[in-house]
Amino acid sequence: MADGLAIELRAVTKQYKRDEFTVPVLESLDLVVREGEFLALMGPSGSGKTTLLNLIAGLDYASSGEVIVHGQDLGRLSEGQITRWRANNVGFIFQLYNLIPVLTAFENVELPLLLTNLNRKRRRENVMTALRAVGLSEREDHYPRQLSGGQEQRVAIARAIVTDPYLLVADEPTGDLDRKSAEEILNLLEQLNSEFDKTIIMVTHDPIAAQKAHRLLHLDKGQLIGDVVQVPRLGAAS
Amino acid sequence: MTVIGTAAVVACSCTLFGMVEGLRHAQKISGDPLDLIILRPGADTETTSGFDRIKADELATLDGIARDENGVLLFAKEQLSIPVVERSNGSRANIIVRGVSPASAKLRPKFTIVEGRDFEPSKGECIVSKTLAKRFNGANLGGILRCGDKESYRVVGLFTAGGSAAESEVWVDIKDLGRNNQQESSVNCVQLRAAGTEELVKLKTTIENDTRFKLAAKRESDYFAAQTRSSTFLQFFGGLIAVFLTFGAMFAAANTMYSAVSTRTREIGTMRALGFGRMDVLICFLGESIILCAMGGALGLLATLPLTALSFGTLNFDTFTETTVNFRLGPTVMIVAVAMTAAMGILGGLFPAIRAVRLQVISALREV
Ligand SMILES: Nc1ncnc2c1ncn2[C@@H]1O[C@H](COP(=O)(O)OP(=O)(O)OP(=O)(O)O)[C@@H](O)[C@H]1O
Ligand SMILES: [Mg+2]
Repeated sequence: MADGLAIELRAVTKQYKRDEFTVPVLESLDLVVREGEFLALMGPSGSGKTTLLNLIAGLDYASSGEVIVHGQDLGRLSEGQITRWRANNVGFIFQLYNLIPVLTAFENVELPLLLTNLNRKRRRENVMTALRAVGLSEREDHYPRQLSGGQEQRVAIARAIVTDPYLLVADEPTGDLDRKSAEEILNLLEQLNSEFDKTIIMVTHDPIAAQKAHRLLHLDKGQLIGDVVQVPRLGAAS
Repeated sequence: MTVIGTAAVVACSCTLFGMVEGLRHAQKISGDPLDLIILRPGADTETTSGFDRIKADELATLDGIARDENGVLLFAKEQLSIPVVERSNGSRANIIVRGVSPASAKLRPKFTIVEGRDFEPSKGECIVSKTLAKRFNGANLGGILRCGDKESYRVVGLFTAGGSAAESEVWVDIKDLGRNNQQESSVNCVQLRAAGTEELVKLKTTIENDTRFKLAAKRESDYFAAQTRSSTFLQFFGGLIAVFLTFGAMFAAANTMYSAVSTRTREIGTMRALGFGRMDVLICFLGESIILCAMGGALGLLATLPLTALSFGTLNFDTFTETTVNFRLGPTVMIVAVAMTAAMGILGGLFPAIRAVRLQVISALREV
C-alpha cells in the first residue's frame, strides 16, 4: 500500500444478539496497523480479543464503523466475496491448530491451495516450501496425531503461509503449548515478520509471548488501551 | 454402521424383489390364451377343486377342443396330491405331485424332458422338475421319491417348463396317482385348449351352463392372474419390509452424518475460514453420505449375487406347497437397489449437510 497502512478501524462497534438481549463487545474502536507490523493483543477473557480478530480477518462483520484491510472495506463485501477475500489475503493460526485429522501434514498445507488454480506440480512446490520454512519437510506424510503439539502448530503455520497471504492472524497460538514449543512458534512468527515482512496480529494471554511483538495493545471493556510501542521504528499512527 | 445398515437393506430388498420377480415370471408364462382350466364351481384353485372322473370323460367329447399335429386331443384330466417330502437338508415340505394325462405336457408352454425319459404308466415311475430334483431327497434321476407312507415313485426323467408353475411339481400318470390314493373316481381339474376364440367361448358356456356339467371354466391366464394375488401379497409385504428397512438405514445414515457434523464442527469452521464456501461444505457432506451408502449398496448387492444361482422354495400362499422360484436379479432389481442407496445417501445426508452449511464460521470455530 502506498500509505503503508495494513489495517484501519474507524469507530468500530460490535454487539452480539443473544435472544432478546444485545451484548455489546466492542465500542467505537479506532486502530491503525502499518504494513509489516507484529502486533500483540492482550486482555482479560471475554474482553473481545477474538471478536476483534474475527472482524479484521473477515470472519464476521462489524455492527457499525469501518474495517479496512489491505485497502478493502470489508463491510462492502458480500458473504461470498469476503470468503474469497479471506482465501487470498489472510492466513489463520488457531490455538488448537485446527488441522484436519484425516489428512497428512502435506494435504493439510495443500488445502488452501485447492481454492487456487495452481496445478498439482506447483501446489507441491509451494507446500514443500512452506513446510521447509517451518522445518517440517520431513514430516509431510505424517498425520496430525503422529505429531507433537508444537509440530502440529508448525504445520498449521505452514498452511497459513502457503498462499503467501497479506495478513497473518493468530489467536493464542501458544496457548496450548509448553514453554519450549511456544518459544519455537514465537521465533517462527518473528522470523516470518522480519524476513517476509508479514503483518501479524497475535492474541495472547502470555506476557512473554507478547514481548516478541513490536507493539502491544490491551483490550478491556471494549476499549483499546496502552498502545505500547516496543520497536521505535514502527511508531503508532493516530 | 451406516455401511452395514445400507448393505443389509440392499441385500434384503434385492432378495425380496428378486423373489417376487421370479414368482411373477413363473406365473406370467404359464398359460396359453386359448387354454381353459375346468374346476368345481366356487373353487379358486386346483387343490380345492374336484369332480367326478365320469364328468371329466364326458367333457372330452365336447366339440371345439384343439388337437395337436398328430391328432391328439389337447385335453388333460389332472389330479393332485400334496404329500410331505423330505428335503435335501433334512426338513420336510409339501410338494405337488400331479397325476397327468398324455396331453398335459403339450398344454404347458416350453415343457421339455431334459434328462432321462418320460414315465411309463403303471410302473410306479415319475418325472421331476429339474429345479426340484436338487432340493428333495430321492428326487434325483434314478432315485426313489418317497411321498408320505403310501406313495413312492422312481424318477426316470427330469423336465423343465420354461420357469412356469410346473417347475415346482412332480408328474406321474393320473391312474397311478388315483390308485395310490384311492381316488380313482375323481379328478381335481381338466385342462384343455380350445381350437379358437369362438370355440373357447362356446366351450365355456356349455361347461358352465349345461346341466350335465355345471362346472367353472376359467381361462388359464385369468386363473393365474387370480393366483398372482399371492405374489402381490408377497410383493406388498416385501415392499413394506423394504420401505421400513430403507427408512431404518436412512436414519442410520442421517445419524452418522449428524454426529459427523457435530464432531467436525470445528473442522467445518476451519475450512470455511480458509476460504471454502457453503457449497463446498454441502457437497463434501452429501458426497460422504452418498459414498457411505454406495459402499453399503455394493456390499449388499455382492451379498445377494450368489443367490442368482439358486432357486428358491417359497411357500405358495394358495396351496401351501413349496413353489420353486428362480431367483431373478434382473436390471429392474438392480436399478431399484441403486436408486434406493442413492436416495438413502442423499436423504440421510441432506439434513445433516444443511446443518453443516448453516453453521456460522465464528461459532463453529469456537467449538472445542
Ligand atoms: N457468537 C457469539 N454470540 C454471542 N456472544 C458472543 C459470541 N461470540 C462472543 N460472544 C461474547 O462476546 C464476548 C467477547 O468474546 P471473545 O471471544 O471475543 O473474547 P476473548 O477476549 O477472545 O476471550 P478469551 O480470552 O476467553 O478467548 C464474550 O462475552 C462472549 O461471550
Ligand atoms: Mg478468544
